[in-house]
Amino acid sequence: MSLEKLNADQFEKIIYNNGEPSLVIFSRKSCHVCQGVIPVLEDLKPNYEGKFGFYYVDVEDDKTLFQSFSLKGVPQILFFNEGEYQGKLAGAVDEEKVEDKIADVLEG
Amino acid sequence: MGDITSTYDLIIVGGGPAGLTAAIYGGRAKLKTLVINKGTVGGLVNTTREIVNYPGYGQISGEDLMKDFKKHAESFGTDFLRDEVVRTDFSQEDKVITTKKGKVYSSKAVIIACGSEPRLLNIPGEKRLQGSGVAYCATCDAEFFEGEDVVVVGSGDQAIEEGMYITKFARKVTVIVLHDEGILDCNKVSAERAFQNPKMDFIWNSTLEEVQGQDNVEGVKIKNLKTGASTELACQGVFFFVGMVPSTHFLQESGIEIDKRGYIPVNELMETNLEGVYAVGDNRVKYLRQVVSAAGDGATAAVAAERYIEEMKAFNSNVLESDKQVLLLFFNAQDNSSLEFGTLLEEVNQELQERYKIVKVDLTTKKNLAQKYGIEKAPSVVVLDKGQEVKRLDCLTTIENLKSQLC
Repeated sequence: MSLEKLNADQFEKIIYNNGEPSLVIFSRKSCHVCQGVIPVLEDLKPNYEGKFGFYYVDVEDDKTLFQSFSLKGVPQILFFNEGEYQGKLAGAVDEEKVEDKIADVLEG
Repeated sequence: MGDITSTYDLIIVGGGPAGLTAAIYGGRAKLKTLVINKGTVGGLVNTTREIVNYPGYGQISGEDLMKDFKKHAESFGTDFLRDEVVRTDFSQEDKVITTKKGKVYSSKAVIIACGSEPRLLNIPGEKRLQGSGVAYCATCDAEFFEGEDVVVVGSGDQAIEEGMYITKFARKVTVIVLHDEGILDCNKVSAERAFQNPKMDFIWNSTLEEVQGQDNVEGVKIKNLKTGASTELACQGVFFFVGMVPSTHFLQESGIEIDKRGYIPVNELMETNLEGVYAVGDNRVKYLRQVVSAAGDGATAAVAAERYIEEMKAFNSNVLESDKQVLLLFFNAQDNSSLEFGTLLEEVNQELQERYKIVKVDLTTKKNLAQKYGIEKAPSVVVLDKGQEVKRLDCLTTIENLKSQLC
């Protein structure tokens, strides 16, 4: 299932205002590592329907967003709960790492 | 192991230029072909901004070229699967492949085209700060270092060309080079351009010892190989371009011969040591690793695989499904006496009103078959009934004796 793309406004609304527990992958089309990680998230998404949000931000379309998190590369998966930043995963991550991190966020 | 999800003639592991070319040839030869690829189709080529040496394309981005390759393969009916191969069983005639998503596929032939990945230096901080200033792909990450100081490790084509690309964003790029002053591993054109680039600095005779920083990269420790002295340099980013390693770890238990560095040795047909298994592109032992040579590999392997599958089918219908008993004659084309024996065997069979069907196998080219029946010398004859071995003939004998063995 494909990830919902966020722009800066939607990011503000969904992540900060609604405070939904979520992950957001910052990626770009020309990054082959990103293109390998996105399918991992797409496969996981259905397992967390209604419990955890899966979103993505294209750093080329929304520069201000990655600058505001002073990111140093893509892909980066950022985790949020109740509008608060909960940490990130960088680079080529696998299913288990993402699942573990989601569990942490939901428990925390 | 689960049930077989799907059966193919040819499975190609990897969707870079080698795999996609194999897919084009496989599809065109009407083989039922599947490409299994874990990321985006195109592989590492996707990270190349500019390709200027692929024939027929004056200048094209890696991504666009790979899209053309994929479209071409799809036009011949090739299937694509986004998944990762985690296990293989190549011990039987039908090769079995298990993926990360738990699917199981079988095929008559397999082409390994899984390419390579950036080599890690395994120094402190390198892994911990990945994505926090440590990077391996300039196209992906250069932009994050706008106005900052970046260190590039390596002096090959990739290091120097990517380093120059990073200068578009960074304030300064410092290249750490193993060699004496003035010596870079890259091509001469790039070297000259790099030396003229006012944003590029070089530190010679040196290597990186450590990447420093708490949450983000704050600096590096550089070791001078001549003096042994360590110096620190503040920076916000480190790009490693210290070569590639083949992505063949998932084949450790497969029985495929792999050299010390992880590359798969093949012969000129791209055959590995295992029957029906081929290796192409960056993951094989070879001289030149370019899109054009990868494509050449893919074509060779697909044609070799097609012939192999055809021969196997022919053997199965000729020998295993034959109504008559079969005399499987192993001969050596370079050995006259074994050729003469073939003529003798045909004469005897004629006298017996063609009671048997004679199938000749060249021992020197059909090594797999010879191995299957444990044949070491020519001539040798195995008598088969519906594929089952009935007996072996004594070939060092007279025509009468041969005849009596067959009556």
